[in-house]
Formats: sequence, C-alpha cells, structure tokens
Amino acid sequence: MAGVKNRRAIRWLRSQLPELVASGVISSENARAIDRHYEQDQSRSNFAFVLLATVGSAMVGAGIILLIAHNWDELSRPVRSAIAFLPLVIAQALAVFVLMRRNESRAWCEAAAIFDVGAVATAISLISQTFQVQGTFAEFMRTWLLLSIPIVYLLRTTLGAIAYVIGSVLWLFARWGIFSSQGNPMLFWLLLMLVIPYVAIRFRRVRDSRETATLVIILALAALVGVGATADFADANVGGIAYAGLATAIYLCGIKFFPQQGGRLHPLAIVGGIAIGIVAIVLSFEASWHMTYHVTWPPRTWPANLAVAVELFFPVAALSLASFDVLRRRAKFSLSAALLPIVTAAAWVITNLCGFPNGPWQSTRCSFAAATLMNCYALLLGIDILARGIRTNSIARANFGLLLIAALAICRFFDSDLSFVTRGVGFIVVGLGFLVANVLLFKRRTAS
Amino acid sequence: MNILRILIFGVVALAQLAVPAAMVWQREQTLKQGRVWKFRTAPVDPVDVIRGRYIALRFTAEEFAAPAKFEAGDKSVYAVLKQGTDGFAEVDHLTTEAVGTDDAVPVESVWWYGDKQHMRFPFNKFWVAEANAAAAERAYLENNRRDNQNAYVTIRVRRGDAALDQLYIDNQPLFEYLRAHSPR
Repeated sequence: MAGVKNRRAIRWLRSQLPELVASGVISSENARAIDRHYEQDQSRSNFAFVLLATVGSAMVGAGIILLIAHNWDELSRPVRSAIAFLPLVIAQALAVFVLMRRNESRAWCEAAAIFDVGAVATAISLISQTFQVQGTFAEFMRTWLLLSIPIVYLLRTTLGAIAYVIGSVLWLFARWGIFSSQGNPMLFWLLLMLVIPYVAIRFRRVRDSRETATLVIILALAALVGVGATADFADANVGGIAYAGLATAIYLCGIKFFPQQGGRLHPLAIVGGIAIGIVAIVLSFEASWHMTYHVTWPPRTWPANLAVAVELFFPVAALSLASFDVLRRRAKFSLSAALLPIVTAAAWVITNLCGFPNGPWQSTRCSFAAATLMNCYALLLGIDILARGIRTNSIARANFGLLLIAALAICRFFDSDLSFVTRGVGFIVVGLGFLVANVLLFKRRTAS
Repeated sequence: MNILRILIFGVVALAQLAVPAAMVWQREQTLKQGRVWKFRTAPVDPVDVIRGRYIALRFTAEEFAAPAKFEAGDKSVYAVLKQGTDGFAEVDHLTTEAVGTDDAVPVESVWWYGDKQHMRFPFNKFWVAEANAAAAERAYLENNRRDNQNAYVTIRVRRGDAALDQLYIDNQPLFEYLRAHSPR
C-alpha cells in the first residue's frame, strides 16, 4: 500500500515540477535531476503492472469472445455487429486515457497501441464474417495497416512500427503471390514510406538504442524483399542493379548515420555488408546475365515503369551517398564495397552489347564477359575486406573476406559453364590468396 | 501539444470505426433492397488461418459453353445474370462495362478451357462459427455430391454490389439444418 501511495505522490511531484521552475522555487537543473531520479523507478514498476494488466485483460477478452462464439449463430446480425464494435470502442477509450493521463509511460503507450491495433483487426474480421463480406487477405492487410500506422505516431510505439513493417511484408507476399498471377506490388513502397518519418524521429531522439537498431534493420530487410517483388513486376532486367544499389545503400547508411567507436560496425552496416557479398556472389553466376526482357519492350504500363524508377532509385541513392563523402574526403567506408552498383551497371551494359539471343535464357559472349567482370569484382572485394581486416586487426572482417572468396571458389567449382582450365587457374589463385592471407594474419596476431 | 495529439487520435478513431461501419452499411443496403438470385453450388474446402473458418464455395454457374475466349485485357469483368428454367441463376454473358444494375455481378478471374468459359464469383466464402465449422463442412459435403446436389446460396444484388445472404442445405438455412440434424 505504501508503494501505491508513493507512486501517486511521485506522479504529483513530477507534475508540479514545471510550475515550481516557473515560479523560481527550484532551478530547471534541479527539476531535471528530480525527474530523472524518479523516472527509472516509475517505468520499472509501471512496466510490470501494465504487463500483468495486458495479460489479464487479454484473458478476460478471450473468455468473453469464447462465450459469445458459442452462441454466435443464435444472435441476430445487429447484435453481432454491436459486439464486433465493442472491443474497438474500449481500446479507443483506453488510448484516449493513456494520451491524457499516462502519456509519459512507455509501457502504457505500447499496451494501448497493441490493444487498439488488435481491436481494429477484430472489428473488421467479425463484420466480414457476420455479413459474409468477401475479399482477399491482401485487401484486409492493406486496410488494417493504413488504419494502424497513425497509432505508431500518436502513441510513439517502436514495437508497433516494427510490427507495421512486418505487416507490410505480409501484404506484399499476399499481393505478389507465388500462385496467383503477379499483382502490382508498388503500394508496398508507399506503406514503407509512411513509417520513414517515425524512423527519422527515433533517429533524432534515440539513435543508439537497441529498438532503433532493430527498426532500421527490419526496414532494410523489408526493402530487400520489396526490391525482389518490384523487379519481378517490372520485367525490365535491372533487378541486379537495384539489388546492388540497395545493398550498398544499406551498408553506407549503416556507416554514415550510425557511426560506432573503435572501428566497430553498426548492425545495419553489417547487414548491408553481408547483402553486398551475397549480391556479388549471385551476380557472378553467368545465368544472372541472361537477358529475357527489355526495358523498352511493349506493352509497358505506367505502374511497371514506376517499378523501374523505384529499382533505379537505389543505385542512384547509393552513389549519391558515397560520392558525397568521397568528394569531401570523409569516406570511412570500404570503397570497393561502394563500387558494387557501378560494377553491376557496367556488367549490365556489357551484356546488352550483344543484343538478344534467339531465345531467352541463352548464353552469349557478352553474358560471359559480364559474369567474368563480376567474378573479378567479387574476388577483389573479398581481398579488400580481408586486407581491411588484417589492417585493423579485426578477425570478424578478415573472416568475412575469406568467406566471400571461399564462396566464390565453391560457386565456380559447381558452375559447369566454365572450362577446366579456367576453373583450375581460378582455384590456384584463390588457394594462394588463402595461404598468404592466413600467414599474414597469424604473423600479425602472434607479433602483437 | 497533447490536445492536438488527442484531436488527431479522434480523427483516427473515427476512421477506425468508419471502415467496419461502412461495410455494415453497404451490406445492409444490399441485403435489404437487392434482388435475390439463387446459385447452385459445386464442391471443395480449405481453412483461412486469419479469419476463422469458412466453407469454400464453387458454383455450377461459374462455367458456360462458349466457342471462344472472352478478352477483357486489364479491365474489370462483370457477369450479366439470367434466371434458368429451374429457378437458379445462370450467366447470360460477360461484359467489361460496369453495369450498375441488379442483374450483374463483378467477376474475379476469367479463363477459357475446353470450349467452356470459366470464372470465379467474388462471393466464394461462407463464414461459419468455429463451433459449427466441422458439422457445417460435413453437411455441405454430404449435400453437394454429384449424386446428391442439394445445396444452394442466395445472393442479393443491388447496383452491381453482390452480398452473400444465406447457404441453404436441403432447402433450409445452414444453421437451421444443423440444429435439426444435431445428434442431441
């Protein structure tokens, strides 16, 4: 009981602080110190309370729904509709209460947001069932996402934002469809853009928090999935360039916007770096350069052209980010990694020099040349990362470089398009690289 | 600042209420004022993980003999209905012109195979309560075989909007049929 009284008193005291500062009783530093003193204690006890309250109310809610479901068919349509609206109205009332009285408590905000977003889905689903409203899963997800995104901003919930991004990917899967004919996935980018301002707010306020890191990583992964769907929809053969651009952009954003101390990398930069490695390896296969469509082939609709624009946005963004720093001589990133979009674009141009073979999926001299270029690039990239690892004495980086080279070697071994001589030479080079790198690394290690 | 936040939340809350409310409103209008069409059903059933249980419906009217494929391009397709001699709905023809009448329904997908024009109507899921799902599915399958075609649905159509009204088994609404045939 003493704890409850204390909490009330603390809340009252904290609410009085601005007034005390205004009337000159205490200084603003004092007020901040008092506020900080009680803050931690408050949020910890609040979180436990809200967690218990959420679980409790969820169980009561589930019980009520079970009771209703038992007699669901006996109820008339108007009664069923009223029941469908009930959780939503309660959730909204709770949200208003939180906004008015518990605005500073993160736990309350998160709980109210989850309740409201869940209630929207419940209402739509129950009405759909009651009135036999048809419609696809994609349509349901779209409506739900659009009705939920304002809650992320109003209640400042980062968990909500992460869930929203995952929801957008689910929408994309439902819309894109493995079995259905390809739907237009362009709304996905609009859905993602709706959450960007929130990411910017988080970035400005709490850049180094774990939640912000999770949010940007999930966003990056979602964009990687989105580029796949967009490239599929665009049918313009620039998917490789788009992926190269996006991977590089993620890597550069990680380095530029989330600088870390002591030569360490932010998780976003690591995700970008891994993506760069994977893209380079995938594009080193000659089959990646068999052109089957052409940008100028009719009929092209405007959404498909927009998809091409979205695809090309990423390499342009990556190049802008890179050149901005390079021109100011402030580049802290690996130049060879940042070169990926340019090399990919060069390989694309080389492939298109030959024109189109008689049928799709056929090799040409040009596709071979493009794949060779990408192989050389991937090898250089691996060596560069390895060298950086050795220079900075970073085992992780050196191993990643080695892994890249090894992956390249294994891929070429199974790639039967290449002659035995080419394969043999390649293997000798990779093997020598391995030996030299390891010797260097361990010499350095033992010396230090 | 906080007042503004609450005002914005008010607008968002209204939108959250408006979406299901608009669904209710449109359906109510169609169910009250729309023209009734009876569609004879044809078999199948999966489970929709997100929105509870439903019976997947196919209709005998979803195919009709046609000498050539109906070409719609990117446009939406509508089926113009007519009443057959047995009182059940049949498709008279397909069109790409939006007809806001009580005898045309939107069509989801169209394909042509074996001298027949095939299509999917948008009203192809009949939601049932979890408790009744298994019994409903059994009743539907038993009364929806080639040798025992005893199921149909009523659809209300108003100005191009089609609302699924009721699933009938052996000429009784599904729920009444289940109550009459329950083991108790």
